[in-house]
Amino acid sequence: MTRLLMAGFLLLGAVAQVRADDASDPYALEAAKARVIRAAVTRVQSRIVTVETIGGAQPIAAGPEGVREEAFRLADGPTTGVIVSADGLILTSSINFARNPTVITVTLDDERRFVATLLGRDEIRRLALLRIEANGLSPAEWAPADEIHVGQYAIACGRGIPGDAPFASLGIVSAIGRRNGNAIQTDTKVSPINYGGPLIDIDGRVMGICVPMAGSGGALAGAEWYDSGIGFAICKEKYEFVSERLAAGEVIEQGKIGVALEEDESLIGDFLEQLLPTKEQAVRIREVMPGTPASAAGLRKGDRILAMDGQPVGDVPEMQRRLSDRAAGETITLTIKRRWRRFEVTLTLARTEDLGTIQAPESRPDEESSDDDDHTDPDAEAGEATSRPADE
Amino acid sequence: MKRVGRFRICLALASVMATLSGRGAVADDQPVRSAPRVVAPNSTERAFSRAWPGVVKLYGRGIGREHGYGTGILVSADGLIVTVLSLLSARDGARVVLPDGQTLTARFVRKDEYRQLALLQIDIEDSSYIELADSSKLALGDAVFAMGNWFKVAEGREPVSINRGIFSVRTKLDARRLTQDFAYEGDVLMFDAMTSNPGAPGGPLLDIDGNCVGIIGRIVEASATNTRINYAIPSEELRAFAFGAQATSAPAGEAEATVEKKEGYVGISISRLGFRHVAPYVSRVRAGSPAEKAGVLADDLILAVDDVTIRNAKDYRDAIRRLKPGDKSRFVLKRGARIVAVNIDVEEKP
Repeated sequence: MTRLLMAGFLLLGAVAQVRADDASDPYALEAAKARVIRAAVTRVQSRIVTVETIGGAQPIAAGPEGVREEAFRLADGPTTGVIVSADGLILTSSINFARNPTVITVTLDDERRFVATLLGRDEIRRLALLRIEANGLSPAEWAPADEIHVGQYAIACGRGIPGDAPFASLGIVSAIGRRNGNAIQTDTKVSPINYGGPLIDIDGRVMGICVPMAGSGGALAGAEWYDSGIGFAICKEKYEFVSERLAAGEVIEQGKIGVALEEDESLIGDFLEQLLPTKEQAVRIREVMPGTPASAAGLRKGDRILAMDGQPVGDVPEMQRRLSDRAAGETITLTIKRRWRRFEVTLTLARTEDLGTIQAPESRPDEESSDDDDHTDPDAEAGEATSRPADE
Repeated sequence: MKRVGRFRICLALASVMATLSGRGAVADDQPVRSAPRVVAPNSTERAFSRAWPGVVKLYGRGIGREHGYGTGILVSADGLIVTVLSLLSARDGARVVLPDGQTLTARFVRKDEYRQLALLQIDIEDSSYIELADSSKLALGDAVFAMGNWFKVAEGREPVSINRGIFSVRTKLDARRLTQDFAYEGDVLMFDAMTSNPGAPGGPLLDIDGNCVGIIGRIVEASATNTRINYAIPSEELRAFAFGAQATSAPAGEAEATVEKKEGYVGISISRLGFRHVAPYVSRVRAGSPAEKAGVLADDLILAVDDVTIRNAKDYRDAIRRLKPGDKSRFVLKRGARIVAVNIDVEEKP
């Protein structure tokens, strides 16, 4: 806010200076602002593409009431993608492929059209990576993370509405580091018009890729928040975090441990413990589902989870929030308290569809006691024998 | 990159930019008084002060026992009001609340089923009204303002609300893809201010000077997105309706076409594996047909016909219906991993 009076604009070398004495004329500033927006969108325009899909079906959500179509109905109109490499990688949002289309095409700004291959999807960050057989493309220029600030202008661009120019919505960066640090929050109108498209700064640099990212659940979760003034865009660092896995064709989805959690509200039996000044925040396992990473690791009902990867978990929502960012296949270490014992277990997160089929490894679960006083494993293991696999 | 910072636009001037209007909520974009006011009246204030004497609130018949409400634009000194066609506006007797709080009863003048507009008149002399400006001057990024009786939050004598956004693009919405009663196939103006809310249709879209560049259209969902969209019908259509020739039910050319059209023939059969949403794969190309001469092959997937995207067999049938013998039609096809375009000389059906 140090430059309240002065606004100088420099775009692509063309100088559109607004002098200090022009600041008293709101129209000079309005005209300059419109020019800046235009220049920013023009600059990114050749780096964004129109994605079209053919075939597929409306995704189905399985909920407590059974299988049903999601409340938000995905349309079959065009969507948006951003060129991220000169040799044909296109970054977009996974929601654009929730129908599992049989054919995907990508049309560049110069109207060349290609058949695209869907490489990988990240259902946590709602990203998808496409490849087209093209070279010499102009990849998007990213805005460095340290140049993205709350309050600065943001423009969400999309190709979801056919037209000579992309659809652009102007707003600001509302927050950074949202959704487990994955997303920039913006008050620009984010909707199926620009899911997969870029959120740019006024230099036309990409700050993030617009995705639906509110709520949790099915493939379309968050889309019902469209145009609400609460939009999300995945920042560069988070794309780079998964870019190799996406390029390798992986489907990254939220990992599960297979337990039901409840708040650790101590019962009478824990009365003494509660008096201790050092009582630790924990969440308690209400139930361990069979055939899950949790059962394979020997976790039991009533165990308290003190920490995940060394960080205290606090309460159930906090635990769930942190788990929501971890993908199937990744390992986490839980610090468990069982009665007076404390130990760590390492488990590999499972895909939802694999729950119920996970079996404990031949060797005993790797449980290490972090206390020196009790190195023997809890009696738990005796009980685990039944859920252990028979010899293969 | 050292250009950061140089680009900061004065935030004080933008205090009304960050509209947080969501579905089910209305943000009133009055300028924030606490922001540093370093300049003369800002452009939103000026647009509002110029336009508000020409925007009226409408009340009347709604669906069932609901009371209808909406917005209208005064377009002449003798009290002509343009609004969208609805139960409320398609008859005499709509209650009009003028910007000064005066209430009058409107007379129905005429309607335009195609543009979905209605013209009303109130008995008034020397009424204030809004100038209809040239919408073609709008460019991407230009500020626009929408005014309206959203959710009828402007009660009693209060004036309507104003929202700010930017103009994006002038485009066509494929009418048959919208809700069934939306027949309009002309240009629409797309912008990012929230107007797809009850009561908003019929209000003006203003340019930076507070002149009317369009009228907020009826609430529709674009089938390209399955979302409600914010759009306006350009002022030229408004002018043509209010001051031009009498209402038409459809553009003239359209009506002609359906009468004298001979059926075009290209000779492509589409695979019939399902119903409406089957992908438009070519199952057979008739020997000697225009399609065969142009090189269409079985198993090609039809992506577009004459720049209209083909998503399913129904789209294809609709596109074929538009072709006339003698047309040169451009088909875009997916063949394996390639995209090819062919020009087909449409013939008369044998």
